[in-house]
Formats: sequence, structure tokens, C-alpha cells
Amino acid sequence: MPLKRDTHAFLEVIQSNKGIIYKVANSYCKDEENRKDLIQEIVIQLWLSFSRYNEEYKITTWMYRIALNVSISYYRKEHRRHDINQPLPEGILYFNEDQNETRNADLDQLNVFIKELREIDRAIMILYLEENSQQEIADILGITITNVSTKVSRIKEQLREKFSNLNKL
Amino acid sequence: MDESQILDLWKSYDKKLEQNLLLNRKNAEDITRIKVKSFVSSMKPLKIFTVVAGIVWVFFLGALIIALVGKATPFFLIPTGILFILNVLAVGIYFYQLILIHLVSIDEPILATQKKIASLRSSTIWIARILFLQLPLWTVFYWSVGMFKNGSIVLIILQLTITIALTLLALWLFINIKYENRDKKWFNFIFSGYEWSPVMKSMELLNQIEEYSHQS
Repeated sequence: MPLKRDTHAFLEVIQSNKGIIYKVANSYCKDEENRKDLIQEIVIQLWLSFSRYNEEYKITTWMYRIALNVSISYYRKEHRRHDINQPLPEGILYFNEDQNETRNADLDQLNVFIKELREIDRAIMILYLEENSQQEIADILGITITNVSTKVSRIKEQLREKFSNLNKL
Repeated sequence: MDESQILDLWKSYDKKLEQNLLLNRKNAEDITRIKVKSFVSSMKPLKIFTVVAGIVWVFFLGALIIALVGKATPFFLIPTGILFILNVLAVGIYFYQLILIHLVSIDEPILATQKKIASLRSSTIWIARILFLQLPLWTVFYWSVGMFKNGSIVLIILQLTITIALTLLALWLFINIKYENRDKKWFNFIFSGYEWSPVMKSMELLNQIEEYSHQS
């Protein structure tokens, strides 16, 4: 059944895939204020493109493309226009962390290592960790499967090395 | 840490998000009601204005040259002619940027889209190069044959020194303003400031994209 293109359908898509938006934004933004702005920009771009969504591709492929494209080319200073033109609702996604929950140091470290990767490598790694197939990664990035495979192996090796160097300390 | 442990770690992140990440539906819904342009399209009005203003300026220069041929000195006509050519190039670059803005589609594959956005931003560096190339021209307009025949030798030497120095500087900058020199002090001095950081970042991104394209 074709997807409806109204506000309700859009909000359902966002609700079901909010993790994608958050994980991508978090991987490309260091501080919280920037991340808020980036999430807002991603949601705006998703809404603007929603009517053009091509159902030939999975909805997640469409979302990854937009979230990654916006994140890679995002510069906060350029986006101050929103504040000047009209006020936009700020908080769209909230991470409601339980203060009593112990933080996973390895997970924090993995996020740090991912943020250290170059922009396109970072996109590949996120897509790989999200367990997208090589074909899906190739579709999202617009490169060949062979290229995906080579790159994923190299980046995995980099991450393994970083973790092993950390353990040596 | 091996591959499966890294994947398990990421799954634990997923689980954490599933439990703690909340969508503010009202704020998300508000976004669908507000009229906003895509961030690439928002660059369009300024580029269109620059192209129009550039065309008017180029026409003015062209008309001035035609009107003054045979009347003005070569000291005026030659620099104005060069200025005309440089401004035609600058308008061409802005026009190229408008075409790129039209071609960018944010829901297309990452590499193709990023290449267009990065090309769009990094082409601004060409505007800077052309701007510097115009520098010495502004020191020649007011020259006349009389100035060389009757002027003070000290002033003539000073004038020539300034023009030659600016010409050499302009040519040197035109040749050397490129990504490879981004770490040089003089480069950072000229291109410091937040308005240049997207341009520099785009050049770096173009390099990454180039690497990927070679491996495809």
C-alpha cells in the first residue's frame, strides 16, 4: 500500500525511526546545542522531501540519505537564518537518560572513535554498525559494493586498533 | 575488542535509545506547518541578486569601454578591459553556483550530493582569487601620458613600485590560493573567520570524495 504523505504519516515515520536521526546527529555533532539544531534541520529536510520519497527504496534508505547529507554539510553559523526569519520549535528529540544507570565506558569510547573518523568514513561505519547490507550501504552512499567492502574492512581495522591501543594504556 | 563485540556494543546503544529517546510530537508537527526553504535553496536569492548585480556591472563596464574607445587613454581602457573580463568570470562562477543549487537534491546518494554541495561552497575560493587579481588595476586608471612627461620622478617611481608590487602579489595569490596551502600562515590569515570555514571544510570533503571515486 502506498505511503500517505500527510503530517500524521510523517510523524509516524519519524517516531518509528527516531533512533536513526539521533544516532546520525550525535555522530556529527560534539555539543548538545549544535545537536539540537542539527536534529531540527534533519527533520525539516525530511519533511520537505517527504512528498518526493521514492517507494522503490526502503524508508530507512531515504532517511539515512537525508540525515547523513544534512549532517555532513551542516555548518551551524549558516543555519542561524532560522532564528532570524522565524522561531522554530527547538526540542524535537529528547534523550531522557536515567541518572542512576551506569554509563557504558566502552560505548562512550566507541562514539568518540566514530567521531574521529573522516566524514564519509563515519557515514560508512554508522551504516555498517546499523547492520545495513552492503547493497544498502552502496545505495545510500552511491558507491560500488566492492568499494563498500574494502572501506568497511579498513575502518573496522582502524577501530580495532584504537581499542587495542586504549587497552595497552 | 573484536568485530562482534563492537556490534554488540552498538546494539546496546540501540536498546538504550529505544528506552530513553522521546519524540516531542508537537514540536515535530509544528515544523510541518512552518514554511521553510531547504538549506541549499536558501542560498538562491543572494546568488540571484549577485548574478543580476554582476551582469549590470559588466554591462556598465562594457558600455564604458565602447563609449571611451579613442577618447580615453590606454591606461584607463586596458585595466577597464581586464576588469570587464575578470567580472565576466566572476558572474560565470556565481551562475555555476546557481546551477549547482538547482541540481542538489538532499535525498540522493551521499557522495553525489556532497560533491555538488562541496563544489558549490569551494567555488567561492575562485571569487577570492579573482578579487585579488583586480587589485593592481585600481592603481592604474588615473595614469596619463602627462604624468610620465611632467610628473615628479619620485612620485612616478613610487607609483610604479606600488603597481608592480600589487601585480606580483595578485599573481602570487592567484596561483597559491589553493587547498594544498591551507596550513600556511598567510593562508590562515586571509581565510580566518567563520564565513570561510565551510569553504575550507568543503575542500577537504572534495578530497575525500575524490579518494572514494578513485576506488570505485
